[in-house]
Formats: sequence, structure tokens, C-alpha cells
Amino acid sequence: MSEVIVIENLTKYYDKFLALENLNLRVPVNENIGLLGPNGAGKSTTLKIMCGLIRASSGRVFIDGIDVAVKPEQALSKIGAIVETAEFYNFLTPNEILSYLGRLRDMRGQQLKSRIKEVIKLVGLERWIDVKIEKFSRGMKQRLALAQTLLHDPPILILDEPGLGLDPRGLVEFRQIIEAAGKQKTIFFASHQLVEVAQICRQIAIIDHGRLVFYSSVEELEKKYESLEKAYLELTGGVA
Amino acid sequence: MIELEKLRIVIGYEFLKHIRRKRLYVVLGLTLLTEAAVLILLPALQGSYPDNVLVMAALLTIGPSLATIGAVFFAGDAIAGEFESKTGFILFTNPVKRITLVIGKYIASYIAVIALIIFGYIVIAISLFSIYGTVPTEMYKSLGLALLYGGSIISVTFLFSSFSKGAMGATVITLVLIMVIDPIIDAVLLMTNNPHWFLLSTAGDSIATVYGGYELFMEGLPFDSMGDGFPFELKDPDIGLTTLSMSIYMVVGFIASVFISNRRQLA
Repeated sequence: MSEVIVIENLTKYYDKFLALENLNLRVPVNENIGLLGPNGAGKSTTLKIMCGLIRASSGRVFIDGIDVAVKPEQALSKIGAIVETAEFYNFLTPNEILSYLGRLRDMRGQQLKSRIKEVIKLVGLERWIDVKIEKFSRGMKQRLALAQTLLHDPPILILDEPGLGLDPRGLVEFRQIIEAAGKQKTIFFASHQLVEVAQICRQIAIIDHGRLVFYSSVEELEKKYESLEKAYLELTGGVA
Repeated sequence: MIELEKLRIVIGYEFLKHIRRKRLYVVLGLTLLTEAAVLILLPALQGSYPDNVLVMAALLTIGPSLATIGAVFFAGDAIAGEFESKTGFILFTNPVKRITLVIGKYIASYIAVIALIIFGYIVIAISLFSIYGTVPTEMYKSLGLALLYGGSIISVTFLFSSFSKGAMGATVITLVLIMVIDPIIDAVLLMTNNPHWFLLSTAGDSIATVYGGYELFMEGLPFDSMGDGFPFELKDPDIGLTTLSMSIYMVVGFIASVFISNRRQLA
């Protein structure tokens, strides 16, 4: 099976602080991988390098065979991403912001209009499509963020805590959408929510202090450590 | 899709952002207000308008000059805002070069400022024609200088915005530079009889002095500029040199802002 995301010896320093140390990960096509780790473990740093938002100190990331640092636009055309908490231009509406982002991704006319309606319906924002984003709650912005990741139907989704700010119903709906998308896409999913990750992902990568401490299937992890929670606690600083 | 097409899209949506924001209308209102103040207060306080149409034209440039300063408010958050408010996490994860985004933002800001300046000059032209029955040809030179000044202000603001942590910081730094630091240096250089054509404040003055120099401009004011009232002689800015100076600010500021924005990381 070909690998759609390849992370090779990824290291990142913020001045003298080592955020990532020689991270290696290979994600097969159509695999859903959950990236777990405590605060400051290096999850967001990994995702930001994958999205070309920050530069690695050393090492490389390939998206569908394209080096992100060398050809970022080509690599970004393959992904839909939510990084950190989603923020939008408050004075635009979801329709306008999705139209802007869609057009930047070479979508046009009727195809774009109908796709916007489709994704807006999918995330449950139909009533808000022409309302300025300044009126939106955090959860609604997260819904819009998910809509923009799915807009161009990318083969890879990179999601950083996508459920942040959602109410319980929203979380369930989100999980269902991502689960459905994951059947045809590769999902790289960073989260603190162990249950959420276990429901969506078949593979788990746990990082701690910038180092990969575990990478295998959920079944294997549960077999070895009894539960995901026990594994997480043990691998990230000992059982509480 | 070619980058030029993406640039067109960025310009369109960035301009839409300017239209949606209140600051465009605030600057437009202030431009109108200052021009109305000159048109109302002059005859009210002096009994009539100046005899010379050029004096009145020079006095009315305060409106578009203010609009030019308004450029700072459009450009201040153009780059810094993407980092500060974290909208960059959505925008920068799209397959579009950072340089395209910065150029698009620059052009959109410039279009907004050009629209404000032209609006100001239309008001001036209508006012002068109504009062004097003529519009001086020097107004076109003044308009050209105002447009160039607007571009140089946007470039300087973009430069501060490209490395500033926050939009407010970039806006305040630029305003302090062009409204406080620059005029102080300008005054010192004037008093010590040194060249000052390379300063933005001198460039800004040229928008009004192009009508006939400081002497003519001061005719409209209630004191003697060249006489005992001033401790030094006011030399008119050389239009050629100020044009060169503004062009340098515009090009260098813009290129530096593109370079810095391109290197900046969204951590």
C-alpha cells in the first residue's frame, strides 16, 4: 500500500526549545491516524509543518510524494486542514468565505455554488450561510472550519482538535462526518479526546516531549496496555 | 490555475473586506468633514474665500491628505492581522503563494485609498468650480502626488505590518512615524538648513505646495510665513526629488514587506 504522508526525521526548535525530535511517521493511503500526546508534546508543531505554516529545523514532510518545504502550494492542494482554533474574517459570511477559498482552489461557477451548499448542509449551517461570521459562536466557527476542509474534496484531511468548542450534539455530528469522510480519505487527526480518536482512527501515534513513543493499531495498543487510556498515561509520563 | 488568476481573486475578496469594514467610511467621512470645515470656516472667519483659486485649492488638499493617512488603517492589519487573529491558519493552508496574498492585499488597500483620494479631489474640483468658476490644472499634479504619497504610506505600513505582532502596533508605529517623528526631523533639518526632501512629511507637503509653494499656501492663513513669524526660511520642496523619495519608499517598503512576510512563520 502506498504512503500518502511521510514524515522523515522531523526536528523543530523554537529558539533553544526542542519541540520535535527526529519524528518519523508513514501513513498509508486511506488510513485514519490519530496523533495523541499531552500539551506541548509537539502535535500542533507537526501539523503546522505538514501544512507549511512553519519550517522544520531539519527533516522532511512529503504529502502524496511532494516535499512540503519545496513545493508547498502543490502539497497544500492535496489537503484540507483545521489547525488550532479556526478563525475567519468576521465581516464576511460563510458563503463568501467558502467562495473565496473555493476559488483559490480553482473551483468555479455552479460547481462551487452547489458544493458550498452541500458542505454547509453537511455541517448544519444552512440557516447561517449568509450571516456575517461576527455573529458566530466558537462551535459554529468550528463547523465552518470543517466545511472549508471538505469543500474541495481533498484526499487528505489534517485536523487539529476539530471538536473544540462544540456541544455534545455537535461533537457526535462532527465525529460522524469525519468517520464518513475517513472511508475515502486519509485522515491525520490530532486530539486530546481518546474516545474520539479511538472511534475515528484505526492507527494511533503517541508523541511525548517531541518524540514518537508509540505507533501502531488501536487493537494492538489495547492488547498491550489493556485500554487506550492506560496506554496513553503510561506512555506519556507514567500511570496517574 | 495560474498565480495571476489567484492574485485577481485575492484582490477581489480583500477589497470586499475593505468595503465591509467601517474604517473605509470613517476615513471617507473625515475627508468630507475636513473639506467642509475649510469651505465653511474660511468665509465665516475671514469674510470671504481667498482671491487666488490656487490658495483655496492648496488649502482644500487637507481632505485628500487625510484620506492618504487613512491608508495606515487599511494596511496596518493586512499582514499582522492574519497572524494576530489567526485567520492565517485558514488562508495560508490554501495552495496560494504568500507573495500572491501580500501583493493582493497591497493592491486592494491601494485601490481603497485611490478611491478615497479621487473622491476628495472630485469634491475639491466641484467646490473650486462653484466658487471660482475654474479648476486649476495644477490640481492634476497634486492628485498625482497624493496618489504616490498614498502608495508610499501603504508600503511603509505594510513593512511594519509584516513584522509586527499585532495590527494595532503596526498602525500606531506608522502613525507616530509619519505624524510625529518625521515632522520633528523635518523641522530640525529645515531650521539647520539641511536637505529634507527624503522625508515622508516633506513628500506630504508637496501635495499642497505644488500649487505655488509655501508662500502661496500661507497666503490663505492669517500670518506672515516669510516674515518675522517664522524663525527660519521655508524652502519649497523640490517636486522631482519628493517624487523620487516617495517612489523609493513605495518600492523598497513593498519589496521588504513581501520578503519578510514570506519568511514569517505562523506558530
